[in-house]
Amino acid sequence: MTKIVFQNFSFRYRNLKEPTLKNITLDINSGEKVLIAGQSGSGKSTLMHCVNGLVPFAYDGEISGKLFLDGIEPYEESLFKVSKIAGTILQDQDSQFIGLTVGEDVAFVLENEMTPLKEMQQKVSECLATVDMLDYINHSPYELSGGQRQRVSLAGVLSSQSEILLFDEPLANLDPVSGKNIISLIDDLHKETGKTILIVEHRIEDVLERSVDRVIVIDQGEIIFNGKPCELLRTDTLKNAGLREPLYVEAIKYSELKLEDDHKLDDINNCDHDTIKESVTNWFEDKLPTEEDFDTDKVLSVKDINFSFVSNTKVIDNVSFDIRKGEIVSILGNNGAGKSTLSNLITGILKPDSGEIVLDGEVINNLSVKAIGDKIGYVMQNPNNMTVKHMLRDEVTLGLRAGLEEADRFNFLNRWWRAKSKVCENTIETKFIDTIKKCKLYGYRNWPLSSLSYGQKRRASIASVLAREPRVLILDEPTAGQDYSNYSEFMKFMNELSGYGIAIILITHDMHLALEYTNRSIVMSDGKKIADDTPANIFSQEDIVKKANLRETSLGKLADVIGIENKHGFIQHFIDFDRERKR
Amino acid sequence: MSKFGTLYVESDSFFHRMEPSLKVLIFVLWSITVFMFLDLRVDLVLLALGSVFLLFSKIPFRIIRNLFIVVLLFTLTNALFILLITPEYGTVLTGSTTNLFYGLTFETLFYIFTLSLKYISLLPVVMILIFTTHPSRFASSLSKLGIPYKWAYTFNIMFRYIPDIQNEFKTIANAQAARGLSIKKDEKSIVKRARNLFNLTIPLINSALARIDKVSNAMDLRGFGKYGKRTWYNFTPMRKVDYAVLAMTVIIFLMFLLFRIYSNTRFWYPF
Repeated sequence: MTKIVFQNFSFRYRNLKEPTLKNITLDINSGEKVLIAGQSGSGKSTLMHCVNGLVPFAYDGEISGKLFLDGIEPYEESLFKVSKIAGTILQDQDSQFIGLTVGEDVAFVLENEMTPLKEMQQKVSECLATVDMLDYINHSPYELSGGQRQRVSLAGVLSSQSEILLFDEPLANLDPVSGKNIISLIDDLHKETGKTILIVEHRIEDVLERSVDRVIVIDQGEIIFNGKPCELLRTDTLKNAGLREPLYVEAIKYSELKLEDDHKLDDINNCDHDTIKESVTNWFEDKLPTEEDFDTDKVLSVKDINFSFVSNTKVIDNVSFDIRKGEIVSILGNNGAGKSTLSNLITGILKPDSGEIVLDGEVINNLSVKAIGDKIGYVMQNPNNMTVKHMLRDEVTLGLRAGLEEADRFNFLNRWWRAKSKVCENTIETKFIDTIKKCKLYGYRNWPLSSLSYGQKRRASIASVLAREPRVLILDEPTAGQDYSNYSEFMKFMNELSGYGIAIILITHDMHLALEYTNRSIVMSDGKKIADDTPANIFSQEDIVKKANLRETSLGKLADVIGIENKHGFIQHFIDFDRERKR
Repeated sequence: MSKFGTLYVESDSFFHRMEPSLKVLIFVLWSITVFMFLDLRVDLVLLALGSVFLLFSKIPFRIIRNLFIVVLLFTLTNALFILLITPEYGTVLTGSTTNLFYGLTFETLFYIFTLSLKYISLLPVVMILIFTTHPSRFASSLSKLGIPYKWAYTFNIMFRYIPDIQNEFKTIANAQAARGLSIKKDEKSIVKRARNLFNLTIPLINSALARIDKVSNAMDLRGFGKYGKRTWYNFTPMRKVDYAVLAMTVIIFLMFLLFRIYSNTRFWYPF
């Protein structure tokens, strides 16, 4: 039986000129588990919104063609009727947690359905038991991790007994292990209940870890692939659609193996095929790792830092490391490992209980946040949280002005003032032009920020920090929620910045990021530094990976499957080869 | 602050167990009583009653003291302004003048004393309502009092997202401080600090708007507003004790009401 039927379906948002979905024709059968992939702006989320009724009830626009959901046409009904058929787990685990406690949140649908209290309590317990969260029934959302909140949201949707479950980027904002757990949970649920499941994601490798029946790839509003995952991985469709292929698939493709029908790449355990073995083993050159030629100038040294909040548990426990000029370093670790506390200590927002932070030979622990800010820039994930001005020019020069005015404080001789402030304006202008050239925004120098694309806004938010000529740049989760092409473009930009001698610290739990773009990773766990090494070395050491809630990369797994002993060498070879290719 | 980020103080007392809608009702009737009278006797009775309530509520003394100081400061300033602006108001109310020194009359002083006690006598019930009512039970109890559930639910949403917005404010402020736009002590000029604070409103509003969009979608998708009524997971039925308290409350309120009707004076002045 078909559950969801698109017939020549198109949709155009009211405020856009072009349709976001174009002539979609698609059948999804009852009980199928389908992955819908595509880069940001491809229309994959819109497709999901058409199914759950947010289009057209929350996002208005023009529909043509037909869509049937369990026999009804959703846009002809009400949002309530649609949401009873298709339950959605939204991407933002925080905003969709409406209740003040876990129990309340799960009960939300039931409350609105006017379920009697007794029955409601029983159902809430049942649903929480399904997702293994019953022990947390009276917890507030602030006591839960991202992964746990996601489980609660899932329980909330289960309580409505919808036959279709929609997951909107379930992996965004989750650390690797939580992501893995939620994917297994979805899979178990699918096997137990036989519900129809649609997962919208661009992190394909993680979703494919458990089998899916079908993958649909959307690019620019059109379906460009609709079929089995093993067929998809043999082609270059993902790459062409701006998506990331699983790392092990990329490695196999690098070995220039001609892929045939009997290469079932969707399950890494099936990659022990003789031809794959032969081809990959030939590709792999077991060479000694070349010592990279670093600039040995230390920019920043953290020495024996300790920090605790009011309660006595140490949040940062005796951490030391050095950052060199022009280096890109990632700080890895799960939530609560102390990553953000560490970055707050470096930027001076928190002061260490003991230890020293040295920047360019100067101890900076006791300087003000502002003074440290002259040398260490901090960039948040979302540019909208950084930018405060209307025009790009004002935004970029804002921090600059704050710095220069400070220098002028003691100049109270009035007749000098005018001359001096003119010099001031000139310096600001030169620095402004210089910065936006670096950030490739020169052509937009007189534009309002709101007219820039998301990627440009991010560069603008970096420009505003860069204008003060920091020596070190700290980026908080720079790639969260970014699809592959945005992400590659952004990291290319970071590479260029590091070429100017700026040291870049990436705070992240994205392992791909660490692997592909950083020379060194510092791994935090429970406030301690547990490793400080090349990514290849770190990801080939099982105990560290486990301790930090990271995961083994599929490259390591591939090495196991085809019997390459030198895992670390294999990962390093992949990284080197990959960087060479992408240069 | 509690784990919910609200003012609720986790404990177990007569008032913690009491049906929240009843507390709201007591608060409303108490306020009406307070504003019906300008009578020192009533103020004293209510204050005594309120203090006994507070003893039973198990609210930590520290919290009571701090809030009491705040309200006391407020009433003192209020009193000072009345003295400065309308020093003869007591005479207007009573028709007699007893000069103490300069323009200060005993009548005005007595009026101010009555007024201040009036404000302070509101404090115990306010504290009981705020500190002993679990936020989850608040919305459901409001809806029990006949307030439409969509309105009542805004309280839930408020309790839920205020801590989130506080956190967001902190992170945004930190990022701006690192750019040299601090709102704390390391910016010495107060004017600039204010300007920097103002600058924070734009990203904060941006993120609040984005959040509103997401939250309202999440609520829509889970059927909020489907029917004219809804049930509440945190519904607690009225117990016998609650009915008894309700009866007592209504009786006492009626007594005050009768007293107001028969006493017939706006301002009680025994001298």
